[in-house]
Formats: sequence, structure tokens, C-alpha cells
Amino acid sequence: MSELDKNMLGDPAYMAQRIADCEREIRKGIVGQTEVIRLVMLALLTGGNVLLEGMPGLGKTKLVSTIGKVFDLPFKRIQFTPDLMPSDVTGTNIIVKNDQGNSFAFEKGPIFANLILADEINRATPKTQSALLEAMQEHTVTVGNDSHALREPFFVLATQNPIENEGTYPLPEAQLDRFMFKILVRFPSKEELKGIVALTEGRGEPEITKQMDGEGLLAARALVNQIPIADAVMDYLLDLVMETHVPNPHIREGASPRAAQALIRAARAKAFLEGRFNVSFQDVEAVAYPVLRHRLLPSFDAISQGMSEDDIIRGILNVKKPQI
Amino acid sequence: MNQKEFLNIIHAFRRRLDAAGFLKRLVFALAVGGGVGILLQAVSFITPVYYVNVYSGIAVVLAVAAAAIVSLFKRSSMEHTALVMDGYGFKERFVTAYEHLEKEDAIYVLQRRDAMEQLRVHRDKIRIPLMPDWKRTALAVLLLAVMIVLAFVPSPVRDQARDYHHIRQEAREKEEEIQEVLEELDKLEEQGQEALTPEQLAAMQEMMESLKSSMSEYRQVSSADALQAAGEKLDYKYENMSGLLSDLAQSVQNGASVSAMSAESMQAMADKLKEMSGNTSAGQNDLASGQGQNGQNGSNNGQGNGNSGQNGQGNGGSGQNGQGNGQGGQNGSNGQGSGQNGQNGNTNGDGTGPGRGTGTANNAHDYVSIPNDIADSGNLTGNAVDHYNSEYYRAQNGLSWEGEHVSYEAVIGSYEQNAYEGIASGRYPSGMEDVIKEYFASFN
Repeated sequence: MSELDKNMLGDPAYMAQRIADCEREIRKGIVGQTEVIRLVMLALLTGGNVLLEGMPGLGKTKLVSTIGKVFDLPFKRIQFTPDLMPSDVTGTNIIVKNDQGNSFAFEKGPIFANLILADEINRATPKTQSALLEAMQEHTVTVGNDSHALREPFFVLATQNPIENEGTYPLPEAQLDRFMFKILVRFPSKEELKGIVALTEGRGEPEITKQMDGEGLLAARALVNQIPIADAVMDYLLDLVMETHVPNPHIREGASPRAAQALIRAARAKAFLEGRFNVSFQDVEAVAYPVLRHRLLPSFDAISQGMSEDDIIRGILNVKKPQI
Repeated sequence: MNQKEFLNIIHAFRRRLDAAGFLKRLVFALAVGGGVGILLQAVSFITPVYYVNVYSGIAVVLAVAAAAIVSLFKRSSMEHTALVMDGYGFKERFVTAYEHLEKEDAIYVLQRRDAMEQLRVHRDKIRIPLMPDWKRTALAVLLLAVMIVLAFVPSPVRDQARDYHHIRQEAREKEEEIQEVLEELDKLEEQGQEALTPEQLAAMQEMMESLKSSMSEYRQVSSADALQAAGEKLDYKYENMSGLLSDLAQSVQNGASVSAMSAESMQAMADKLKEMSGNTSAGQNDLASGQGQNGQNGSNNGQGNGNSGQNGQGNGGSGQNGQGNGQGGQNGSNGQGSGQNGQNGNTNGDGTGPGRGTGTANNAHDYVSIPNDIADSGNLTGNAVDHYNSEYYRAQNGLSWEGEHVSYEAVIGSYEQNAYEGIASGRYPSGMEDVIKEYFASFN
């Protein structure tokens, strides 16, 4: 595929095609994990952040670096540890000696990149975790009295390990809500594992080429935001969110309004990725799981019955059917 | 495909969707109507419901009408039609395009073009079924068929319902008839205000009250026996009133301030009541004949004694007594006519008409002749005492039989006892108890 034609940035069909090319290119570098790649692409197209939950070694870092290459965006990885300080993430003011004497200058932290991989985010203290809050929501960083805008497109991909809870600090609800998706990275199948091994240990990694740049990604986001939604689909989407607030023995707390916003954006992006310019009921259903699963607080009953958040969401989807 | 074609296609599917919706609701309505009809039919086997078939039909018709009305109000909108069309794998393209037809931004135009293209290429995928599910249709037909079959199944309860209905119908007609008579009597009373004495007016009032009680009695009639009893009472009252009105007419005509109109009206009313009395009897006998053999007997008895009554009436030519004798035809149905005839005959000597007339006994009689056999046996020649054949002969004032003679006091005592027993058993028309008591008291 040729370089992105800047004159075609406003053409939805062309942009949809280019985004599809980007996804295809990412798949070249990542074996399997098709759903994860698709959801990450949706988050990229909507400006959302992603929380990946999965075992180590499932290609999370590889995924972010591949995205960086495909979109030609700088990529930074921050390994979260208990002794990581907020300034280690955001940056800090340092004394600089120059001709006029000593002065303070802001030294940007790793967060000043387009793509951030916050690895094992739940290992850092809440104070450090909260350093990400402003960046994720406002795309700015405030140090001292100065606010610094982050580069656009800005995308945070955080990971957490589901099994090692010793010495971790579970993310507070407020921070979880700022992630558009929570994606569960499942262990690959044998066929996928075979492909991974062949890719990394055998014939060598394929060359990943740039398909689009940050400007193209932002143009695609603008188009995605324009995709029309029929009233019936919008009603259905809102009904799903409202359904998390009706008395339910398995839900302690329902989803926030951000969930509705995330559903709309994600459904639009999914339609766009599929080359459609309208949102369907299926689009909404497909994105309901990653959007809602970290926004629902299961009740004690649900936990004691071994129900996962996905089980609860499945129940909601079974109850609320599109009104035709 | 342009926008107009796109809309036309949606519109065509909308019509089909409306038709399918109506048929679906129609089948449901027929099933519900049939179900309700079956329920009503089942109820009619337990409790009498005369109009069960009408009600069943109404249930079905109402259900169908409801289906039509609901279908009318629930016609598909264009949006809904587009949504239904989208349900055939078009992922809400059509509804989105329809809702944003006016938008001209690039992405809307693109979306609309995509929807129209999909519709053009894959229109044949949209197959909205017109006919409802065959199982539901079969169920509705089955329910209706069962309802119709049940409508023709005979049952004693249904016969009872039919009989009751006819009785009530008859009773209602009688109520209306009485109402008319009451209105006419009311008019007569108004017309005769000046010509009639207070006693006569009071008598008319009494008549009207008596008729009202009959009307109330008809209102409560629920069996053939009750209807017949009410009819007999009414006949008696008509007869009685006829006589009374004749008297009044006579007195008005004889009076100084004659109101010819009142007199004629009264006489006409008297004749009418007389006629109605016969009609009532005939009508009720017809009804009674439908009820069983007993009614037939009653009719015969009535007829037989009617002859006697005529005889008695002939006797009554000397005064108002003839009116009382006319009643004989009715009373004869009880087989007691001959005995009572003696009473009336008493008035005139030896009349054989029934004895509940209003005749006045001006002549004293120490003895009365009574037959040794009852009137309806058809054997008036036998003599129960000495086994000789009785001979009957026409005396000066009517029929008389040769037989034993009983003292007047004994006869009156016997009659009085029977009358009081009759009062106790409710055999007489309501309101007449006091008249009877006074009548017998006058002999003491």
C-alpha cells in the first residue's frame, strides 16, 4: 500500500480502507490475538485507553511496539513497580545551569510519547497510578503550576497480571473508568503458539511497515465520530447501560455514563473498521463486553457463585434485546 | 437507486408488514374469541344462558374488531419497517439511511449510497412472511370449530334456559300489557273525577294497586307454574275489573252529570279487559300446553266450567251477579267450579257458574243443592250415596241436581274453611285476602 494520501483524509471510504490496511499490518507482527488487535484498533480509532489483563509473555509489549511502527508513533514503556514515583512517569522540574544562571526546566517523563505501555500498572502505588489519571483523561500533565499538553494521538495501554496479587495495588474504580476497554488476553491456542514460535525462533520476524501516521489516525478518528447511529440502536445502547442500574442480585454498582460514551464510540469504530458507515445492534453487542466488564462491580452473590463480569454482561444482553 | 425508489421500496414492505400484522392479530383474535366462546358454551352446560350462541358470536366478533382496531393503531412506521428489513442481515443500514435522508455530509451520503446499493443487490433476501404461523392458525380454526360444535350439543340446562327465556318473555309482555292498562285506567280515573263518587274512585285506585301488584308478581316470575298462577290471578283481576268498570259505566250513565265520554271509555275498557282476560287465559294455556299434560287438563277444565259459568251468567241477569259467574270458567280448572257454582247460584237460586263472583246475596236461602260428584269427572249421573243415578233438571234459575240437601250454614262454613285454607296456601290473588275475609264475615 502506498503512502497515505493527505488529500484523501476526509474520504471515509478511503480512510476505512487504510485503517483496515493498518490492522492487517499489525496482524503480520502478532500471531493470533485477533480480538485483542481488533479492540486495540477500536481504542486507537476513538482515542480511548486500554487495560490489558493477561499472563506475562502474551505479546503485549510486542503489540504496542508494532502499533508504533504501523502508525509511525513514538512508543514508551513504563514498568510499574512499588517504588515508582509519579515524577518518574510525568517528568519533573530540574535545575538547569545556563548563561543566565540556574533555573528550573521541566524534564519530560516517559508519558510524553504517543503510545505508552504501562506495564503491570497495579504494582505501582495509588499515588503513582493516579499520575496517569490526568494524562489519560485530559491528555495533559500538570507539574507544579504548569500544565503540559501531551502529544496527539495519545494512547495508553496498561497491563496487569490477573494471578499475582501479592504486593499489588488494585486500580481504583475512578481510574478503571478511564480505560475505554478492559481486554482479556487469553493464552494462545496450539496453532497460534506454533505460529508465534515459528515467527520468533525460526524464519525471523516480518518487516512491519508504516501504513499511516498520527495525522491520518486523527483524521480517521474525526470520521469515526461522524458515523450516524439510528435511534433504535442508540436506544438499545442506552438501555444496556441503564440495565446495569436496575436491581440485580449480581451487580453491586452499575456502569457510569462514560460507559455509554465508550459504547457509542467503540460501536462506531467497529462499524468503520468493517467498512460500514452506520452502527448496528451487533456492533453494540460486540463491544459491550470490553466496555462494561471493568465498569461493573459484581455483588457478593455473583462472586460467591463464581460469576465473572462477562457472565453478568451476557445476562444483560440476554434480557435486553433490540426492539424491532 | 435514487432516494424516491428507496422510499417506495420501504413503503411497499411497510404495506406487507401491516397486512402480516393484521393477519397475525386476526388469528390471535379468532383463537381468543374461540376460547371465550368455548368457555361460554361450557358455562351454558352448567348454568342456563339462553343467549350463549349470541354471546359466543359477539366474543368472536369483538375479538376480530379488536384485532382490526389494534392493527389500525399499530401500523408500522417507516422506521420500523426499515428496522425489520435490516433484520434480514443488513445491519441497520436502511433505518440509519432513512433517518438521515436529509443530511448531506459526506459520511451520510456514503452511508445512504451503501444502504441503497445493498437494497438493490440483495432485496430478494427480505422475505416478510404474510401468513401467520400455521400452528397458530390451526389452533384458531380448531377452537372456532369446537365452539361451533358445542353450540349444537343439546343439554337439559339449555332446554331449561330456553324455557325460562320464554317464560320471562311472556312475563315481560304481560308487564307491558298491565302497564298499558294502568295508563288507561289512570286516564279514565282523571276523566271520571267529577262523575265518580269517592267510593268509586277508591275502587279504581284499588284496581290499579291490584294491577301493580300483578306487575310486580310478573317481574318475579321464574317458572311456568308461577307464570300460570300469575296469569290466573290477572285473569281474575281483569274479569273483576271489567265488571267493576261496567258498573261504573252504568252508574256514570245513570248519573245526573253524565260524562258520556267517561262512560263510553269505561265500558270500552271493561270490554277490553274482558277480552284480555280471555286472551290471557288462552295464551297461558298455550304456554301451559307446551309444559306438559297438566296444562292440557287445565284447559279442558276451564272450558267445561266455562259452560257452567255461562249458565250462571244467565242467572245474573237480574243484577251484577252475572259478572261473578263469568269467573266460573277459570275456577273450573281447579275442579271446584261446581261447588262454587252453588255459591253463586245461591245468589240467583241455582246457578252453576263458579262462585267467586262479586254478586250480592239479596235473597236468603236455607238450602242449596249440590251434586254428588265433581264437575270434571264427566259423570254427573252417578250418586255417591245411594248409588242411584242422579237426575238433573233445569230449575227456575239454572241447573239443579236431585240429591241430598245440606244446610246453608254447613255450606257456608265449609266454604269459609276452604277459603281460609286457600288464603293460607296463597291460592288467591294478592290483595283479595281481605275481600274474602270480609265476605265471609258478612255472613256471621
